[in-house]
Amino acid sequence: MAKPKKNSSTRRGFLKGAAAGVAAGAAALVTDISIAEAQQGAARTEAAPIVVPPPMQAQIDRDAGNVRPPAAARAVKNPGSDLMVQVLRDLGVEFVASNPGSSFEGVQESIINYGNPPNVNPEFITALHEMSAVDMAHGYGKAEGKPMVAMLHGTLGIQNAAMAIYQAYYDRTPMVLLVGRDEGFIQAHTAHDMAAMCRSFTKWDATGKTLVESLAAIQRAYAEAMAPPQGPTLVVLDMEHQKEEVQGVRVPAYRPPQITGLDATRVRAIAKGLIDAQNPRIAVGRLRTHQGVKLAVELAESVGATTTTAATNGPMSFPQRHPLCGPGASTTYDFVLGLEAPGAQYSLTGPGLATLLSRDTMQVGFGGIAPPPPGATGRAAAGRGNAGANDIEIDAEASLKGIIEEVALQLTADKRRVIGERAAKHAAANQEARMKALNDAVQVRRNGWNGSPIATARIYAELWPLIMNEDWCLASPTGFSGGHNAALWDHNKPYSYLGSQGAAGMGYGLGASVGAALAAKVRGRIVINIQCDGDFNYSPGAIWTAAHHRLPMLTIMHNNRAWHQEFMFVEYMTGVRGRGTDRGHIGTTLRDPDIDYAKLAQGYGMAAEGPITDPSKLLAALKRGVDSVKRGAPYLIDVITQPR
Amino acid sequence: MNVKNLRTTVLLAAVALLIPVIAGFGEAVAAGQTAAQQPPGPATGNAASGKNLYYAQGCYGCHGFNGETGTRLIGSPSRNLTSEPGFIAFLRLRADQAPLLPATRMPNYPENSLSDRQARDIYAYIRSFKSTTPELKDIPALNLIIEAAKKPYTP
Repeated sequence: MAKPKKNSSTRRGFLKGAAAGVAAGAAALVTDISIAEAQQGAARTEAAPIVVPPPMQAQIDRDAGNVRPPAAARAVKNPGSDLMVQVLRDLGVEFVASNPGSSFEGVQESIINYGNPPNVNPEFITALHEMSAVDMAHGYGKAEGKPMVAMLHGTLGIQNAAMAIYQAYYDRTPMVLLVGRDEGFIQAHTAHDMAAMCRSFTKWDATGKTLVESLAAIQRAYAEAMAPPQGPTLVVLDMEHQKEEVQGVRVPAYRPPQITGLDATRVRAIAKGLIDAQNPRIAVGRLRTHQGVKLAVELAESVGATTTTAATNGPMSFPQRHPLCGPGASTTYDFVLGLEAPGAQYSLTGPGLATLLSRDTMQVGFGGIAPPPPGATGRAAAGRGNAGANDIEIDAEASLKGIIEEVALQLTADKRRVIGERAAKHAAANQEARMKALNDAVQVRRNGWNGSPIATARIYAELWPLIMNEDWCLASPTGFSGGHNAALWDHNKPYSYLGSQGAAGMGYGLGASVGAALAAKVRGRIVINIQCDGDFNYSPGAIWTAAHHRLPMLTIMHNNRAWHQEFMFVEYMTGVRGRGTDRGHIGTTLRDPDIDYAKLAQGYGMAAEGPITDPSKLLAALKRGVDSVKRGAPYLIDVITQPR
Repeated sequence: MNVKNLRTTVLLAAVALLIPVIAGFGEAVAAGQTAAQQPPGPATGNAASGKNLYYAQGCYGCHGFNGETGTRLIGSPSRNLTSEPGFIAFLRLRADQAPLLPATRMPNYPENSLSDRQARDIYAYIRSFKSTTPELKDIPALNLIIEAAKKPYTP
């Protein structure tokens, strides 16, 4: 289809008109003052503040998608962006997070108005920064194992989002990035090859030359994001394709990714090994989806194998409290199968990020992915990979179904009896080990219980009984707040704990928690965000998103008034150099003035309390917070904490 | 933008490895003695001044504001805390050793950055710490956690 010529002066004219329209709209709200009075501006405002009236019922109905606007004649009846939204719907995309931008105004309008009644799925999630939008998709992707969409405005949006994309890439988290391009508008916002700006840390990208190509690209981006190694994919959507009138265009058929599992020969060998072993074990790392976790449980139960789990490190691993999870009755294992984890006999490990090195056309050579440079020694030579002799580069999750079926074929009644007896012994031993570890753990967590500032362990310990019977998701990284969840809590769901930032970059926690809370809201879960103060201040606007969308997210500030890890690094360095540690706080602490996070959250419209320094007041605050999020209202508690 | 790298995570683990290393330095100072065997000697410094120094020098960063969290000082088995001279010697000895052994995270304190008087004040403040740690039976949350763990697993 030929592109209609775009007149940039017309666009500028539109902007000018839009500005006038805004002014007119504002004036229309001020119905009780004269034009002359309105022209007095600030002086008038101080004398009698102008209060924007609350929305009328008709507007509320429109926002809820219940009422269509009267539109006798429409200039464009079937815009291309409607089909883009239809593709997202068909893929099951639930949310599109974005900070608005002119380069995707067509798609944005379709997300909010396409269909009858107007579209609410995917829902447009208002982000205050592109970094937050991508972090939201990151948190959602880890909780659900499938992509959410973040929409970015041209060159600017990509650059604002770049670090968050980079983290999701390292974290191998599926997400789809849609980037608007409008060559006829602000030139600094467009580029010939927009995706090149982040090609080296995305998994796949495309720029459709036609509407149909763009639709197909969205579908493939979804499939590529889901296939191992999972990661962010990107599609550039040209404004012309968003706005063109669709004539005879059909949405292409979606082809889900075909993920290869283990070959039949090795499936038989593994099944036989597990069945014949006296004490088999399965080491479980991070799988891709909830279904993968379910299959891992099925396999372990079918052969009576004990397991390890990575559930205290991140999502999609074996349930921590499952009776087979633990060392078992004997630690002499004669057959160990690794699922995305090392195993003595077989390790099934899906393709890693090194398989995407060809996309690093700029030869950035990201650490831990790219091979060490020639001649590198010491730490620089550490490089990537620790593959063992028995490693098989194959996706573990895709292999599970075949192994389970083969085990069922090979099992005899006698074997089943033996396995049942073995599993019972393992369950008893694992429970005993669990109780011993827990009893040791609580002894340590008593330390400083009644001290002020509040011990981080007390936050985890007081919170756990309040949520243990809820469907919960701990979305924030916990390494900097003591990681006490690992010892005290039970991580039994694929989304119990979403793990670290991906590339240990700051600014992730709040946005990721909002993304997890989006997933949680429609599934009746609550989300816990134990939020480091340093991390918070990169993108505090995500608080507003949580408030605006009524997300069930409890934020508890780990407020040690510092980027504390950096504080310790600098303290150490000053000490090594013998120049005194008394200036180590410069540039590493957040004091003078202290930041009041409760007021900050309240300013963004979220219920909040604190700062809490008295440990005896913590439990009641946590109860109020949990009650609030169970009602669907986000809540923030500012707790002044010990450094670690 | 303050983009951290993986070093942050790795060094978290390194911090955990410090305690035995620091204890090793203590052995050089007070060989053959243990904290349990040796009753603490007198503290001659000014604890009030030491409190300010404990904060200003960033001691709280690793040892907590009360000496009870992180690398604990209350109840610590370290020999470096059993006497004032031993404590000061430990700080000075580290001034000689730490540059050669940067894997240890405890900063060193040469006299030109922390005087003997200041070190005595800090020692006095550390010795003034009072435990805020209750008995386990007196902490309902921890008992609830233990009781809940006794229940059978439900998927």
